Amino acid sequence: MIRFRAPIRRDGDGFVVALSPDEAELVQRLLGELGELLASDAPSPLTERLFPVVHPDDPEQEAEYQRWMRPELVQSKLTAIATVDAALTGDGRLDEGGLLAFMQGVNSVRLVLGAMLDITDEEQPDEDDDEAPYEMQLYVYLSWLLEWSVRAMTNQ
Amino acid sequence: MPTVLEPTRVIEPGADEQVAPDHPWIVIVWNDPVNLMSYVTFVLQKLFGYSLEKATELMLDVHHKGKAVVANGTREQAEMHVFRLHEHGLWASMEKDGPSDG
Repeated sequence: MIRFRAPIRRDGDGFVVALSPDEAELVQRLLGELGELLASDAPSPLTERLFPVVHPDDPEQEAEYQRWMRPELVQSKLTAIATVDAALTGDGRLDEGGLLAFMQGVNSVRLVLGAMLDITDEEQPDEDDDEAPYEMQLYVYLSWLLEWSVRAMTNQ
Repeated sequence: MPTVLEPTRVIEPGADEQVAPDHPWIVIVWNDPVNLMSYVTFVLQKLFGYSLEKATELMLDVHHKGKAVVANGTREQAEMHVFRLHEHGLWASMEKDGPSDG
């Protein structure tokens, strides 16, 4: 009998992220790269999707909002990345806040990859395409990981 | 992306149909090709306390209609909601509800 192990599962009061060493290293590397991109604060079309416009009808209010809140949002994402990195380096255990941070971190990378790949509604990734570009394979893998995170969180 | 955009009005339990004058801002979530439907549904439940049914309905409105109103409140409340939605990677914005004051 084959036992399938979910990559993320509920365990008592918390959760366990059970990735293979290769997968864990991959996720940590991607999160690390995202962290560097964010910390450098260099304007980039790849990360702009992470910072949507809040007041589309009012440039003044928008500038005011971003002045205060963009650094907060950057910090929030960096903290999420650090939380995940610590868990993957350690025993893979996360509390609920940690799993939320994991989901946020994984989804942030997905959004950046989506921008790189120019993913649109009309051109969704083909999950069975083995010859897809590497970034596309990463994107599909992270989507799978996020889907399992939602299942673990919502007790499915 | 669909061409018809119909924001869904969210009615909070106990509120009447008219927007309360002290809650003049609405929070909109926009469709995007990256976010997973299951994830959007989960985030709406987590951040706003919606039931699975209501969160699913809002998510499907975002998906099929291009956008949906997911919350309303004061400007400060709306900004906080938008911030938290952005933390989760959703595409959200806010605007004044009702007719413009000019």
